[in-house]
Amino acid sequence: MKLLILKESLKSGLNIVERIAGKNLSLPILENVLISTKENFLNLTTTDLETTISWWGLAKIEKKGKITSPVKFLSNLISLLLKNSVDLEVKNSTLYIKSGNFQNQIQGFDPEDFPVIPKIESAPYIKINNLQFIEGLSQVIEVISSTSTRPEISGVYFNFQKEFLKIVATDSFRLAEKTLFLEKKIDKEYSFILPQKAARELINSLLEKKGKLSIYFNSNQVMFEFPMTETDHPQLQIISKLIDGEYPNYQEIIPKKYETQFITIKKEFVNQLKAAGLFSGKINEVKLKIDPEKKGMEIFSQSAGIGQNQSFLTGKVQGKKTGISFNWRFLLDGLFNIKTKEVVFELSGEDGPAVLKPIDDPSYLYVVMPIKGT
Amino acid sequence: MDKENLWQAVLAQIQFNISPANFSTWFKSTEIFDKQGRIVWVSVPNAFSKEWIENKYCKLILKILHNLDEEIKEVKYCVGKTSSKAPREKEMTSLPVFGQLEFQEFKIDKETNLNPRYTFENFIVGSFNELPHAATMAIIKEPGLIYNPLFIYGGVGLGKTHLLQALGNEIVKTFPQKRVKYISSEKFTSEVVSSIRNKKMEELKEKYRTLDVLIIDDVQFLAGKEKTQEEFFYTFNALYEKNKQIIISSDRPPKAISALEERLKSRFEGGMTADISYPDFETRMAILNFKTQERKINLQEDVLSYIATNIQKNIRELEGALNRLVAYQKLNNQTPNLEIAQSLLENLIISPIKIINPKKIIQVVIDFYDLKEKDIIAKSRKKEIVKPRQIITYFLREELKCSYPFIGKKIGGKDHTTAIYSYEKIKKEINKNENFKNEISLIKQKIYS
Repeated sequence: MKLLILKESLKSGLNIVERIAGKNLSLPILENVLISTKENFLNLTTTDLETTISWWGLAKIEKKGKITSPVKFLSNLISLLLKNSVDLEVKNSTLYIKSGNFQNQIQGFDPEDFPVIPKIESAPYIKINNLQFIEGLSQVIEVISSTSTRPEISGVYFNFQKEFLKIVATDSFRLAEKTLFLEKKIDKEYSFILPQKAARELINSLLEKKGKLSIYFNSNQVMFEFPMTETDHPQLQIISKLIDGEYPNYQEIIPKKYETQFITIKKEFVNQLKAAGLFSGKINEVKLKIDPEKKGMEIFSQSAGIGQNQSFLTGKVQGKKTGISFNWRFLLDGLFNIKTKEVVFELSGEDGPAVLKPIDDPSYLYVVMPIKGT
Repeated sequence: MDKENLWQAVLAQIQFNISPANFSTWFKSTEIFDKQGRIVWVSVPNAFSKEWIENKYCKLILKILHNLDEEIKEVKYCVGKTSSKAPREKEMTSLPVFGQLEFQEFKIDKETNLNPRYTFENFIVGSFNELPHAATMAIIKEPGLIYNPLFIYGGVGLGKTHLLQALGNEIVKTFPQKRVKYISSEKFTSEVVSSIRNKKMEELKEKYRTLDVLIIDDVQFLAGKEKTQEEFFYTFNALYEKNKQIIISSDRPPKAISALEERLKSRFEGGMTADISYPDFETRMAILNFKTQERKINLQEDVLSYIATNIQKNIRELEGALNRLVAYQKLNNQTPNLEIAQSLLENLIISPIKIINPKKIIQVVIDFYDLKEKDIIAKSRKKEIVKPRQIITYFLREELKCSYPFIGKKIGGKDHTTAIYSYEKIKKEINKNENFKNEISLIKQKIYS
């Protein structure tokens, strides 16, 4: 193998693929990146046997070939290079790197030992606006818990319906749902559960990139493909296994009506909640009192060793007077994902779920359970 | 050579041609799951193993298999589902430490609608619920054959739902092949409504008529919903004829559910009817002790007996009172003594008295008998209106100590002598008729709930 590539291009590719490669005692080759050539492209691939990331970049190929190399090591080295182009060459399973005044040799591993990446042969199921898709995904991802006692809810649920896609995540204390409207109707409805790790990689690699994301899948795998800006060739493929199981009937927990509704300025809500959080001690409990007569909400927190905090938030109140307790961090997580200036907070009794949503925007919903009050 | 031995022989030979790391990574949890003549199907745990084995060891595996069994000419691979599915870990039963509430719906089994939280292990039996408990125990031995249908009734928060769900869970455990479904009558109604709208009535019929055990909770909510009653009636008959077990709960006996069709009432009474009454003091103490153990906390005996003495008619309230004390303990790191407990539970224990008034009594009674307020005030002397009117009189006198002229005015401008007569009549009837006494105590409970 012998090729010439732009340093920035190689560096960005390595940054994307290196996150997934990690220590693996039984299969050390998984710490490596598979470097290979294809037509006029350099291809980098890493995998942890659940998620696979493959990246392509334009390069001047002089001789075809492939090799594997420790990816973190390689990435550190490339970021130190000063000159704008890098010369890569493989001779006797050693990778030679030449750039400006640098000359390095890295001991490679036999590429034949690298796992064979399973392909998805079918045609793309759907093409979707990447900006919206990644934004939607990042609005729900923080909700997932990392405990694996319940595999079905340890991932993000994608539910494609005729005209829209619903992206859902939960940790059984709270739940976030984002609805994206599809530009083109789809014929066949479909749903799958994507592992959290793959979802995070999607966000990390494709945040704020304009373009169309293609989604492919079969019964146990899914592939997300993003094209290059210069050509139609894929720049990035993220392949992941799907979580086996049935997602719970989450629709049932979304309250259909409310007992008390409170509309207020989001920024002030966040501020007062953070202040209350400082005083809430270990159990993170803040008490809220909403009163239609006072036209606002009282926020109260205290802990034995610190002291107490009280604040008042004005806003529009409808419905019954109520008092309820929450983990303030859970409320804050929901508020952060609401982009409008005003926020709607709906309660259904002191043991019932509460809903946070942007005003005049039905596409996002955050449901959170209260703390049993004292 | 059977499938298992065949694959073991393959593995035994392959290990000499591959590094131990690769061997353990790629050949873990592989097996032959089918052999049809010349084709052998090998299941592998994931897509990576499939690609790897297919691309690198296909020829070698085929050669070994062919040597062992001449017939084999082809090996195919597929990603297996059976081996990859780990047995579901047991749900953690301990309560969340800080009282953070969870979405209960996620624990519910999608197929049966049952919540695994309800079991017989955490169900406390006392004299107040001995009969229904014994009946459910008999049903677990032979579902569908002994008490069919079983009708359980009793007031709010006395454990009807717990008993029903525990029964369902136990049947699923003892007879895994039986199809069990738990549903509240409210949900059943909304299913009927939505299938009428979507023209999927046949699917709904099919869904319920193939069940082995049907559990319907709070059946009194079917009152007044004719189409749902009709659907339920057919389902009931279809299941009953096939000796499938049906279990029903309600907050009152079948006779007392107004606006329920006669044919349904008589069917409900056809099997076994059992009531849950109020737990006695000792049982309430036992329940509190059990709940404190479950939450791993210690409360003094006098605090527990204070709760048990003051909350008599609702187990859910007992639990609520206990939760309050637990929260106090978590927050302040000290066990509440009797004095603190009294002040913490003050509004829980005293509040019910404040909220009853003549309006509430009238509302509850007319709701119970499914009447309208104007019926009571009207001059009608129909039997089905006279009785509720007399019951209202009784409660106004007994609970609120209203004067007879006042009561007369409230029930449509009647004379005070009418009120006296009504009150005496109901009082006598209660002493004479056990069924009527039950009815009155149910209404009373509703007034105070």
